[in-house]
Parts: sequence; structure tokens; C-alpha cells
Amino acid sequence: MRKQHLAALCLLVLSATATAAERDAKSIVRDAIDHWRGLSSYTEMTMVIHRPDWERSMTMSAWTKGEDHSLVRVLEPKKDRGNGTLTDKKSMWSYSPKVNRVIKVPSSMMGQSWMGSDFSNKDVARSDEIVDEYAHSVLGVELVDGVTVYEIESIPNEEAAVVWGREVLRIREDHVVLDHAFFDQDDELVKTLTTLEIATMGGRTIAQRQRMIKSDDAEEWTEIVVNKVDYDVDIADSLFTRSNLRNPRD
Amino acid sequence: MHLFGVLFQLAWRNLWRNHRRTIIMLGAIGVGVWAMIFMTALTRGMVDQMVTDSIGILPGHVQIHNPDYLDDPSISNRISYTDTELRQKFESAGFESWASRVRVPAIVTSERDSRGVTLLGVDPVAEKDISFFDYAEVEGRFLSDSGDKGIVIGGKLADKLETGLGKRIVIMSQDPDNDIADRGFRIVGLYSANTSAVEEAYAYIGKSTAQAMLGIGDTSTEVVFLGTEYRNVEPVYEAVAERVDERVSVQRWYEIDTYLGTMLGVMDGFVLVWVIVIFLALSFGLVNTLVMAVFERVREIGLMLALGMKPGSILGQIIIESMLLLTLGLATGNLLAWATIMPLRDGIDISIVGEGMEMWGASSMLYPKLYLGDMVLASVVVLLLGFLASLSPAWRASRYEPVEAITKA
Repeated sequence: MRKQHLAALCLLVLSATATAAERDAKSIVRDAIDHWRGLSSYTEMTMVIHRPDWERSMTMSAWTKGEDHSLVRVLEPKKDRGNGTLTDKKSMWSYSPKVNRVIKVPSSMMGQSWMGSDFSNKDVARSDEIVDEYAHSVLGVELVDGVTVYEIESIPNEEAAVVWGREVLRIREDHVVLDHAFFDQDDELVKTLTTLEIATMGGRTIAQRQRMIKSDDAEEWTEIVVNKVDYDVDIADSLFTRSNLRNPRD
Repeated sequence: MHLFGVLFQLAWRNLWRNHRRTIIMLGAIGVGVWAMIFMTALTRGMVDQMVTDSIGILPGHVQIHNPDYLDDPSISNRISYTDTELRQKFESAGFESWASRVRVPAIVTSERDSRGVTLLGVDPVAEKDISFFDYAEVEGRFLSDSGDKGIVIGGKLADKLETGLGKRIVIMSQDPDNDIADRGFRIVGLYSANTSAVEEAYAYIGKSTAQAMLGIGDTSTEVVFLGTEYRNVEPVYEAVAERVDERVSVQRWYEIDTYLGTMLGVMDGFVLVWVIVIFLALSFGLVNTLVMAVFERVREIGLMLALGMKPGSILGQIIIESMLLLTLGLATGNLLAWATIMPLRDGIDISIVGEGMEMWGASSMLYPKLYLGDMVLASVVVLLLGFLASLSPAWRASRYEPVEAITKA
């Protein structure tokens, strides 16, 4: 009788720690995203798209507010100046001054490349889904250069609109994501987002240079370098509107 | 009658006087007629199969849609009846088979690739007789019920997406508000079809699952009905039409797939043209043979005329000779065609050129279809045109001046 009690107690404790660990892993991921984005943010960044035979870079400014709103606008090169992308929840609009039209990106194009990079429109439009549509668990904890790094495995829920088999993130205790690996359902690595440089900017320690590399072709990558970032700035809701996408008032 | 007997005998004997020439000519006619019938049977078989396959995919013989759906097959143009109303209307009407479905364009994405497909939300029980593949032949399993959470795609699509049975893929489509509706699905089955184009084009999910994903309550985009025979869909059409009002439009299969409907009509014309073209080639040989036969027998014809045979009989004699030649040739050709098509009834494997054929919707197995009508058509055309072609040499023979003909060297 007592043995049974003991076993039941053990089981209870085990499952309790399991859910605690699960919640932990989830909150680590959530904190990392919140840390990266802040309540609101203004970023100036450079995106370098590298291919074996060419390379191009674009400078952009980006605004985010809360979980749902973001606006990205290209500053350079000159011929792309003014191209913009607006996201609101799951929807996405794009604007090009050359055609002078705001186009809602249809679902059929969400899987396509965003501005020619290795990121898809979907990657840009949704940053939060990884928190709620995945089951997270801590794979391991290690000490790198005196900083604790959590290795977290995120497996998408059965009905989540995610094609990956699992994703593995390595997140430092100060919420900086070191890398984010995408595995297919045969557990083969498909692509990795790696942080190359970490810097303190806008009062936070963030990944300053990140590179997305496809695992089967190291010569194809997209790099995002943050040049300037301000966190928790006051941004009017009117910035994230289609009319503002078309006629910037900032 | 007695005269005809005599003329027939004369014609028959004349035919075999130069038996080598006659046999060569018979061979030429035989091969020509064989080509007419054989080629017709091949094309008929191909078109027949295209029609049956396409009706299987359409599917059904009669469909109803929202009147705007055919111009713009988007999720906004749904049928204004709910599932319950549809059941009330059609359940007891005694259709061979009927089913309502949700049909929307969608994007399917795997880790490696993404493709456009037609997403079909179906009720597997109602669709059993309508579906173009056998549920039992699906690799894995087909959807079990309307609320099934899995997805069934074609084997070829799975190859293209570099995914497979048991893996998850993401389906993205648009809801009525033009917002993105998406969801992950596990592949529970892979179906196979005659052509890879079909396997790449359709993905099946449960109807209730589709309705929930798209947020369209209990409405559908099309209702399909199956009759007994694709050539006679009027009874089904009328039965459906009298049960619905003007909020939906009712179409027969050949109105929905006009390409296919036209194809069927064009086929009949094509057969006739083909027969005539081959005959034109043949007719040169035929006329030449007859001219030669007449030329050789100028003195003989002159003698017969001098002895009092009427020119009409000479004409008849030559024409009978030509008809005999053609009839024998036709018999040879028809027999030859029958003998070559029968062993091929179980299909000719043309997978070597299958990929090209698939581009226009034919499959890689070809089943020749021998129709009595086509054989009769070929024979009648050959006899009729042969008669016309032999008129000229026969006419010339009957117009000889007896004295001149006899004295001709």
C-alpha cells in the first residue's frame, strides 16, 4: 500500500516537473522573442543575399508594435527604395512605388521568397506561432563562455501549419538566440539561422548579425545585420496601415 | 436478272485473268481499309478513355454550383443551400449516387517544395461510387469519414514534394474574407491515377475538416450527381433541375468540360476525314487498275459491242468488276483489322511515349475500341467513292466505236 503511494507520488512529481520543464522551455522561447522585438521597436538593418555568382544587399527600416504589427521599408538600393511590407496578424501586404499598388499577398505566395532572400513571406509575417503551435522541451543546458545556454527542441503540433519535423533553438540565458535549426520530418537538417555577432544595442544585448544558410548549399545564404535599434519607442497605430504603406508619413 | 448473272460472271472471270495484278490491288485495298479501321479504333479507344477518366475526375455527370462559381471558382461563390437543405432535396430522389463537396484552389507545402493543387473536401462515404480511384487501392488508407483529420494526395505529388506517407504537409488556402486559412495535415494515403497530371492536381481532405478550416459553416461549393451512362445524362439533369431554384446553376458534364464535349463531336468528323484521305490514296491505284483492264481489252469490248451487247452492259460489267475488287479488299481489310485489334483488347502499353500523351490527358495504356459503326462507315465510304471512281474508265469503255475498237492494233 505504501509502496503504491510512493510510486504514485513519484509519478506525480515526475509529471509535475515535466510540465514545469515544458512551461520553462516555452517561456524561454517566448522571452527570447519578446526580447528581440520589445513592446515596440524601430530597427535599421542591412540584408545581404548571397548566391554563388552574385550578391546584393538592401538597407531597410522596420517598425514593430505588439505581436501583430510590423512594417518594413527598403531604403537602399535606390531602385528598390520605397518597397514595403506590412503585416497584421496573419495577413501581409506589399507595396512597390513602381507599380504604385498595395497588393495583399495571397496565400499562394506566402511560401515564396521575401524580397528574393532565403526567408519566405511566411517567415516574415509570423514570428509568434513558434510559441503556441509547438511543444517545447529543454534538450540540454550548457555553459558557453560563462553564459548558460539552453538547447530547446520545438516540435510542431499535429495541426500546426508548419512543415518542419522539429526545430532546435539554442538560447542564451540573456535571451539571445544563438542558432535556430530547422529539421525535416526525416530529421535531416534543412536550414539554420545562426547568430554570427552579438552586440549591445538600444540598451539590449541582441544578435547583431544573423545568417540563414541552407544545409545542402553553404554558398547560398541571407544575412541580416542590425545597424541601429531602438526599443519601446512610441509608435502610432496609424503607422501600420495600408495608406501609410503607400504614402509614408514618417 | 439473267443479264446481271452473265455480267457478273464476265466481271468475275475478267478479275482473275490477270490474277497477279488483282492480288496486288487486293493487298493495297486490304491494307488501306485495315489502316482506316485500326487507326480509328485506336483513336476511339483513346478518346473514350479520356472521357471516362475526365468524368471520373470532374466528377459525375451533372453538377450544381453557385451561378458565379464557374467564372470565379473561389470560396466566396458557394452554393447557397446548407448541407441539411441539400440532404432534404436529394436524399430521397433516387440518384445513382450524389455528393456535395468543397472544392478550392490551395497551396500544399512540404519542407522542400510547394505546389498549387485543387483541394477537395469530400465525404468519403457518399463519394465511394463517384471517385475515380478505388478506395481499397489507395496506398495507406483513404479518408474514413467527413471529419477525418488526414489528407490523401497523389503519389506523384508526394514525389514532387519529396514527402511521403505518414508525413505532415501544410495546406494553405483562402477563407471567404480573403484571409489565409491554413492547417497542417498528415498524409494518410496516396492514390494513383492514370496520368501523373491528375495525381499532381488533387488533394483530398474530409469535408467537415475543410469547412472548419475555411470557416464556411456547413456550405459546399459543388454538388455532383452520377447517372448510369455518360452519353445519356438528360434524366439526371432534369431530375436535378426540378429540385433546385435559380440560386444555383445546373450543368451537364460536357457543359463544364467543354473541351471534352467538343472532342467527342470532333472525333466523329475526324474518322470520316481519315477514311476519305486513305481512300483518295487508294483510288489512284483502283482507277489505274481499271484503266489498264479496259485498255487491254479494247478489241474484246469492241467485239462484244459489235455482237450487240449494249453499252450499258459494258459499263455495268466494268463497275461490277470494280465493286467485286473493292468488296474483296474490304473483307480482307476488315478481317485484318478485327484480327489485329482483338489480341490488343487488353491494352497497348505506350508508356515509352506516355509522358507526351499525358500532356493532353491520355493515359499510358491504350485500349483500342472497335465499333461496328466505324467499320460500316469505312466500308460504305469505300464502296461509294469506289463506284464514283470507276465510273470514268467504265464510261469510256462503253463509248468505244465497235469498228475502231476491233481494228485497234
